[in-house]
Amino acid sequence: MFYRKQKAALARFHPLHQALVHEHRLSVTLPRDAWEPLIQSCAQHRAHIRRRKWALPDEVPLVLVPLVRVLSRDLRRTGTIGVTADLTGPEAAGKAGPQQSLQVRRPIRRVLQWYAFDPWLAVRAELRDGSTLDIAVVDRVRFRKITKTNPRGKIKTKTKSKTLRVITVTRRLPKGAVLTRPASPPPPWIRVRIKDGPRPVIRLRARIPNAPRSSGLPNHILHLSAEAFRWTAPQARRAS
Amino acid sequence: MDGAAGEEGVVNPCTVTTGFFLLRGCGRPAVAGCARCGRGLCQGHAAQNGGICPECSAPATEDFYHPYWTDGYRRRYYTESASAYNDPYWYSTFDTYDRGAFDQGGDWASGGGDFDGDFDGSDFVDS
Ligand SMILES: [Zn+2]
Ligand SMILES: [Zn+2]
Repeated sequence: MFYRKQKAALARFHPLHQALVHEHRLSVTLPRDAWEPLIQSCAQHRAHIRRRKWALPDEVPLVLVPLVRVLSRDLRRTGTIGVTADLTGPEAAGKAGPQQSLQVRRPIRRVLQWYAFDPWLAVRAELRDGSTLDIAVVDRVRFRKITKTNPRGKIKTKTKSKTLRVITVTRRLPKGAVLTRPASPPPPWIRVRIKDGPRPVIRLRARIPNAPRSSGLPNHILHLSAEAFRWTAPQARRAS
Repeated sequence: MDGAAGEEGVVNPCTVTTGFFLLRGCGRPAVAGCARCGRGLCQGHAAQNGGICPECSAPATEDFYHPYWTDGYRRRYYTESASAYNDPYWYSTFDTYDRGAFDQGGDWASGGGDFDGDFDGSDFVDS
């Protein structure tokens, strides 16, 4: 039987790791220390699985693992992290909107354009100060299927895509939390909205044109998140 | 070893900085000093890396699967984000914590997870 060893290795992986391999999806809320066995299982993937059909989506090691690792540092033992990830990609069924024909000129014969809406990541963490942090990543992908005649008279078709990524970070603070405006404004790519009051909320949004699929994304998300914590940064101890 | 509750009134507390965004001194009683920098370490933090504190033993790795990747990433993160925000104070929150100069235990002791529904309403203001 083909892939006998790999199949056996796959069956020994964490059940959620297996779901990520087979369905490219994850939807679970786990207490802080329950994430580590899943991460350790995923860390074993490359050593045991070479079959492409059973590959682990890149977003797992490049996005999910670092985010969960960072967020768990700010959790109590009983605090939870919830992750809803759909890693099937913007080309998966059900994500594409209606197609539209664009006007063209020779040698282009036809351009079909459509947009896909791909809300592929939502993370919620219950932090140890009583606040919650929500992270959402939505890709809006423009597809263009271009049909043209090449110089030798052959008809060629190719599909181009362009991704606009919107990252939202929302921090909901517990009753009585006090916001202090940071000394410097955030970089221009970050939009900040504040709801002040007994339970303040800080909402941040970044639009990233031409986003690569996953590399560098945790860095982006965490730099965006910094703004949500600058508003509650501890004030230095004063000599009294 | 992380997410420890700071204990009030420990005479010689472990000064390892826990957390990522929510920084806090570990605060458990120190049983030893870091073999490199000398800071006080509790039993757990002393055992984590053979008597060397997480800051001194932080791996400079890009391997997110490394169990202590976060220890090395955190300082880089604060350096980079402070410069992205042009906010030296943001970095100093980390650095100052790391030198134990903040009051410990300034958290709102709330149960957490207490959130209302939707905040897209008009009571939001642009900052
Ligand atoms: Zn040290
Ligand atoms: Zn400690």
